[in-house]
Amino acid sequence: MTAIMATDFPLLSLLLFTPLAGALMCLVIGAANGTNARWVALITAGIVFVLSLVLCLLQTPAAGWLLYEDYSWIENFGIRYTLGLDGLSSVLILLTAFLQVLAVLVSWRQNHAPAIFFALLLILETAAIGVLLALDLILFYLFWELMLIPMFFLIGVWGYKRRFYAAVKFFLFTLIGSLCLLLAVISLYLLHGEQTGVYTFALEALKQTELSGTQELIFFLCFMAAFVVKVPLFPFHSWLPDAHAEGPAAGSVDLAGLLLKTGVYGMIRFAFPLFPVAAQKTMPILAVLALVGLFYAAWVAFQQIDIKRIVAYSSISHMGFVILGLAAWNQTAWEGSVLLMVNHAVTTAGLFAVVAMIEQRTGTRALDQLGGMWKSHPNMSAFFLLFCMASLGLPGLANFAGEILILIGVFTVKPLWAIIAVVGILFSAVYTLRLVQGTLWGSSCEPHDKQDLVPREWLVLIPLAVLVVLLGCYPQPVLELLREPVSSLLMSGGLP
Amino acid sequence: MNLESLHSLLPQILLALGSTAILLGGAWVRNRRLWLIVGALVAVVAALVAAFVDPARIDILGMYSATAYARFCTVLWCLTVAATLLISCRYVDLFRFGGGEYASLMLFAAAGMSLLSSATSFVGLFLGLEVLTLALYVLIAFRQGDSRGAEAGMKYLVFGAVATAFLAFGIALIYAATGTFNLEAAAAGLQTEEGLRPLGLAGWALLLVAIGFKISLVPFHLWTPDVYQGAPAPVSGLLATAAKGAVLAAFLPLLVMTGEGVADIRNVLWLLAIATMLVGTFAALPQTNIKRMLAYSSVVHMGYLLIALIVAGDEGSRALLFYMVVYTLATFGAFGIVTTFADENGEIQEYDDLRGLATLHPRRSAMLSVFLLSLTGIPPLAGFFAKFGLFQAAFRGGYAELAVVGVIASIISVYYYLRPIIALYSPEPAVVCREVAAQSETLVLVGCAAIILFLGVYPAPLLTLVGLVIP
Repeated sequence: MTAIMATDFPLLSLLLFTPLAGALMCLVIGAANGTNARWVALITAGIVFVLSLVLCLLQTPAAGWLLYEDYSWIENFGIRYTLGLDGLSSVLILLTAFLQVLAVLVSWRQNHAPAIFFALLLILETAAIGVLLALDLILFYLFWELMLIPMFFLIGVWGYKRRFYAAVKFFLFTLIGSLCLLLAVISLYLLHGEQTGVYTFALEALKQTELSGTQELIFFLCFMAAFVVKVPLFPFHSWLPDAHAEGPAAGSVDLAGLLLKTGVYGMIRFAFPLFPVAAQKTMPILAVLALVGLFYAAWVAFQQIDIKRIVAYSSISHMGFVILGLAAWNQTAWEGSVLLMVNHAVTTAGLFAVVAMIEQRTGTRALDQLGGMWKSHPNMSAFFLLFCMASLGLPGLANFAGEILILIGVFTVKPLWAIIAVVGILFSAVYTLRLVQGTLWGSSCEPHDKQDLVPREWLVLIPLAVLVVLLGCYPQPVLELLREPVSSLLMSGGLP
Repeated sequence: MNLESLHSLLPQILLALGSTAILLGGAWVRNRRLWLIVGALVAVVAALVAAFVDPARIDILGMYSATAYARFCTVLWCLTVAATLLISCRYVDLFRFGGGEYASLMLFAAAGMSLLSSATSFVGLFLGLEVLTLALYVLIAFRQGDSRGAEAGMKYLVFGAVATAFLAFGIALIYAATGTFNLEAAAAGLQTEEGLRPLGLAGWALLLVAIGFKISLVPFHLWTPDVYQGAPAPVSGLLATAAKGAVLAAFLPLLVMTGEGVADIRNVLWLLAIATMLVGTFAALPQTNIKRMLAYSSVVHMGYLLIALIVAGDEGSRALLFYMVVYTLATFGAFGIVTTFADENGEIQEYDDLRGLATLHPRRSAMLSVFLLSLTGIPPLAGFFAKFGLFQAAFRGGYAELAVVGVIASIISVYYYLRPIIALYSPEPAVVCREVAAQSETLVLVGCAAIILFLGVYPAPLLTLVGLVIP
């Protein structure tokens, strides 16, 4: 193990650029033949998954970076190419790589320009991994923005009827946030340069910048503008339901599994450690927004007819929970937040996958037209039920583990928040049960395709289901990986 | 004029002689593509000479200079013209242009641009600008029997003539106030507290109006969309890039100076920059014609470039040159793609006609997306680092408010840059434009896209280069 760590081989760059190479291959080989593109995408995603799994297994619970790369890049501006992998990044990268394989499988039958479609999926993967590895603020920003382009095209070209509206809304919301981030990054860089004479974007160096209270608050808010939009936190969420409802299935899987996670990651890796004082001052506000979002999203989810929108709003509700955990600012709650993030990604990916399958078979996503799937498609319905139960926080299934940790962590600091949040779980049970009831039971909706799961769909759903149960019963391995990075991030943020 | 001066002016002389030779040759041999390629070769040779042959002297008769900066500009404009000629190959056949005349005028314009950005006196400036503008008058209305083209040519002529009048009168007033044609001395003369200062300032005001017309700053931008729409696409590309860049480049050395007179000008520029960015942005939003949209986009980008001009200093100049190169690549590329979409029925300009073209022409659609996204400033395309350098320089120079307005304009710009892209990729079947792009077109455009991608990932070479040549 030490041998691998000691080697100079740029393993992280390999991980980062494999999907990009795959995307180019897709465009070259797959231009004439769509099947080739699919296989190239699947194989690339598989390789990345194996790579990230190996990196995860190599990970020791010790502090510090397992792997670190640092090269000079654009000297004129003091921008460096710095990548670092610790437990936190490796868990999220593994999640990304895993979901990406499924995203490729889910959209296997994509017929409109498959080469470009799969190339975009792979570019998205590179960008997401880059965000999780970058330690130079401009490098981070670069990947952060790079996530936008493929997602924009995935929604805008391969989406449903109102795709242009949804794609532009998504693009504008996230871009406004990102540009606030960019402005703050540039100002911070100039300030640091004036203080020390060294102009650099390195995260570690910028942490040392001396800031006045107001400056710190403004910078923090600018950083958070980018991150809360991506999470999305109430009231910055309105792009998400549209993006989900109008985007293709793989787009939804990636959106829920990859993009939303990067927002939270940005907060704990960049915003909180860079501006600890401002962060702790604004924590109550964050908590209030999280709690309001938790209830609001649940309420709106209850009103929806479109099942994809219900799942989208449930996402917002769960992310509210995650943010609440961060606001508690202690080890247990933070671990719970990251765990819930992983769990939520898995369950939601499962839900979106099944929703796409239901739509394929019935041609509709409207709750009032669906029903009786349990009779016609028992296997698919069983998976749907499992994911729904996980989503509403049934003990023993994925989400419960994260939620209980968050609740414990929050309770030790602010019991009132925890009590309100528990009521929120109740709300999520209400809309989830409505979803289950309306889809699986009731009068049959006469689906035009009577075929239950095909092998490819089994292949998508079984790993997800296994993970949902595993993470629910035994989240220990993930928590062990998270412990050290989370505590060091908390320390650098300063304990309250 | 002695031999040394001639030697220093070699690139411009090459362009002018080449232009004349092609004009004469074109009368005998009526092969369009041949003359275009010869013209492109001449431009490339001139660029090489400017880049690698050391001039015998820097100052040429007190009118022009052969500094590294001037030569850098010459290289840039020569290459732009060469690229314009190459992508016009199929276009000139399609619309039966006279190949010799077209190539000759393009080279003439290149000579004008090169003179313009190396001018050190008002006389040199005026000469360069007129050489450029005269060639453009003809080029804009080059398509015979095309009423829009004629309208565009007429509009450009009228506005251009008025602008020239302003320019001449402004120069006269400045001369009266300062007693010199030398640009730097004239600007320095403004700083003294003498009785004639108001006269000089009035002269500068008139001058600014003329420049405002040429690079279409708000409120002098109204001709831009009509002219770009009516002119042949490759000519619009040249108009939006090199023709504007050359004018801006001529004034960059001036604003590096500080002092009261320049400070007054700077305040006016500050206002113009904000107005240009905002008005251009909002005017671009409702456009449904890609050439008109690109026209407004060029207005907005001129506003961005003004920021760099105002910041001036090392930082500002570096940002300006870098931005200019990247903007030139992307805008030229976008007009280039419009050129390749032209067929015997004319150019494809409306978004409705662009619908579904991506299925027919995946490569060109991808390239157009690259160009437009680079103009938006999305990483990992070169436009990002261009904007980054610009806003960074603005912050550093103490013009944070300009940077903020620029960022807001960039956010809004997403909407109008994305609309044509979405139209291209919509799944409806395309009804127009089944033509395959000519090889020369593909070559040039792929080159542009590749450079944009490369600079987006690794901008250091160009940054270092512009750091070396700044005045």
